[in-house]
Amino acid sequence: MIEVVLNDRLGKKVRVKCNEDDTIGDLKKLVAAQTGTRADKIRIQKWYTVFKDHITLKDYEIHDGMGLELYYN
Amino acid sequence: MANRTDPAAKSIHGTNPQNLVEKILRSKIYQNTYWKEQCFGLTAETLVDKAMELDHLGGTYGGSRKPTPFMCLILKMLQIQPDKEIVVEFIKNDEYKYVRVLGAFYMRLTGSVTDVYRYLEPLYNDYRKLRLKLSEGKFCLTHVDEVIDELLTKDYSCDIALPRVQKRWTLEACGLLEPRRSALEDDFEEEEEKEEEEQAMDSVEDDTHEKASIPFIFLCYNYYRGRSPIRERDRDRRRDRQYRDRDYERDYGRGRERDRDRDRDRDRERDRDKDRDRDRDRERDRHRLRDDRDYGRERERERDREGRERERRDRERGRRRSRSRSRSRDRRDRDHEDGDHRKRRTRGSVSPRRRPEDDGSTRDEPKKKKEKKEKKSDGTDHPDPEIAEANRLRASLGLKPLK
Repeated sequence: MIEVVLNDRLGKKVRVKCNEDDTIGDLKKLVAAQTGTRADKIRIQKWYTVFKDHITLKDYEIHDGMGLELYYN
Repeated sequence: MANRTDPAAKSIHGTNPQNLVEKILRSKIYQNTYWKEQCFGLTAETLVDKAMELDHLGGTYGGSRKPTPFMCLILKMLQIQPDKEIVVEFIKNDEYKYVRVLGAFYMRLTGSVTDVYRYLEPLYNDYRKLRLKLSEGKFCLTHVDEVIDELLTKDYSCDIALPRVQKRWTLEACGLLEPRRSALEDDFEEEEEKEEEEQAMDSVEDDTHEKASIPFIFLCYNYYRGRSPIRERDRDRRRDRQYRDRDYERDYGRGRERDRDRDRDRDRERDRDKDRDRDRDRERDRHRLRDDRDYGRERERERDREGRERERRDRERGRRRSRSRSRSRDRRDRDHEDGDHRKRRTRGSVSPRRRPEDDGSTRDEPKKKKEKKEKKSDGTDHPDPEIAEANRLRASLGLKPLK
C-alpha cells in the first residue's frame, strides 16, 4: 500500500492511499471520490508525462509519498 | 469575436448559453479546426447542412480530449440560439437521424422541463442505429432510443453536464404532463394475457391493497385508447385481484430477461395475439417497472406512491407462494426481489440496476454502486479506521482492498 500526493497548484492537495498494482484509472477514481470532480475529467501528470489510464503505478515507478500533478481535461 | 454569443440571444438557465458547456471543454472546442473552419459564420440554415453531414456522436476523445464535430455543432447552436420551431423541426425530421439527435440534445440543454419530455419521449420509438465515438477514440454502436434514454435519465452525456430535469411523476402530479404512453403497451398486454391463460387462478387478494394501486392507474400505457382513469380503476379492481399475485411474481422474473434483451422480448411480444378487452393496469405497470427505460423513474414512483404496504404484501405473497405450486425460478427471483425491495426502500436515489444473473445467489448487494460480494473479506473491517474507510471507498468503486 502506498500513499500518493496529488496537487493541482490551485488549492487542491489530495493524499490518496492505493496499491502499487492499481492502475492510473483506479487512482483517478479514488481522486475523483475525494475531490468531487469526475474521474474522466482528471489528468495526472508528472512534468510533461501524462499518465495513461491502463498502466499500473508500479510500472510507472510511482513510489510511496511521491507527488503528482493534477490537471483537468 | 467569432466566439461571442449572439447579443440578441436570451440567457439559458440563468447564464450565457455557451456556459452550459464548461470552460475547459469550451476552450477545446474553440481551438478545434472543425470549429474554426466549418463553424465560422454559420446561421440556422447553413447549420442544417452541416448537421446533415454528421456521421457520429460523441464527447471528447483521445489523450488530448479532442472534441467531436457533434460537440462543435452543439456549441454553435448554443451560440446562435435558433428558434424553438427550428429545433422542433430538427427533432421531427425523420430522414437524418443525427440531425434528430442534435436537435434532441439541444432541446435537452435549453428547453423547459415539459418541452424536454414532450419532444424527447416520442423519440423513444426510433430504433435506428447510431455511431458513438468513445473516449478512447474507437467507435461503438448505440441506438437513438438509448441516447434519448440517457438524456432523460442521466445528468451527464457527451462530456456535457445536462441541466437537471424533474422526474416525470413529479410533473404528472403537478398536472403539467400527461401520463406516459408507450407504443409497446399492447405488446405487454398480450404477454400478460398469455400468462394468465396458461396458469390457473391464484388465491384472491384482499381488497385493502387495491387502494394503494390506484395511483398506478395514471401511469398506464394508454397510447391508443383514451380510457378514463376511473374506468381503469374499476376494471382494475374487478379483474386484477386474481391476476396480480401470480403475474407480479412472474413478471419480476421475466422482467429481468427483458432488461437483458429488450429486442428479443419486443419481437416475442409482437407475435402474440391481441386482445384488447383485458385490464392492463397492474400487470402493465409492473412490466413497465421492469422496462429498461422507465426503470429508474418507475422505481421511484413505486416507492413513493405505494410505500411499505406493497412491499409487505409482496413478501407475504411470496411466502405464501413458496408453499403453493410455483416455478422454482420464480421463487428464487421473488425472494431475491423482496429482499431487494426491502433494501431499496432505504435508499434515497434510484439507479436502474441490471441483474447479470437470474439466480438467487446475489442476494446481498444492498447499497453498493457495483456488485461487491466479498464485502466482509475486502478489508472494510480493518482495525485501523482510516484503512477501513479507504477500503470501503475502494469497495464501492469496485477495487480490491489495500495491501
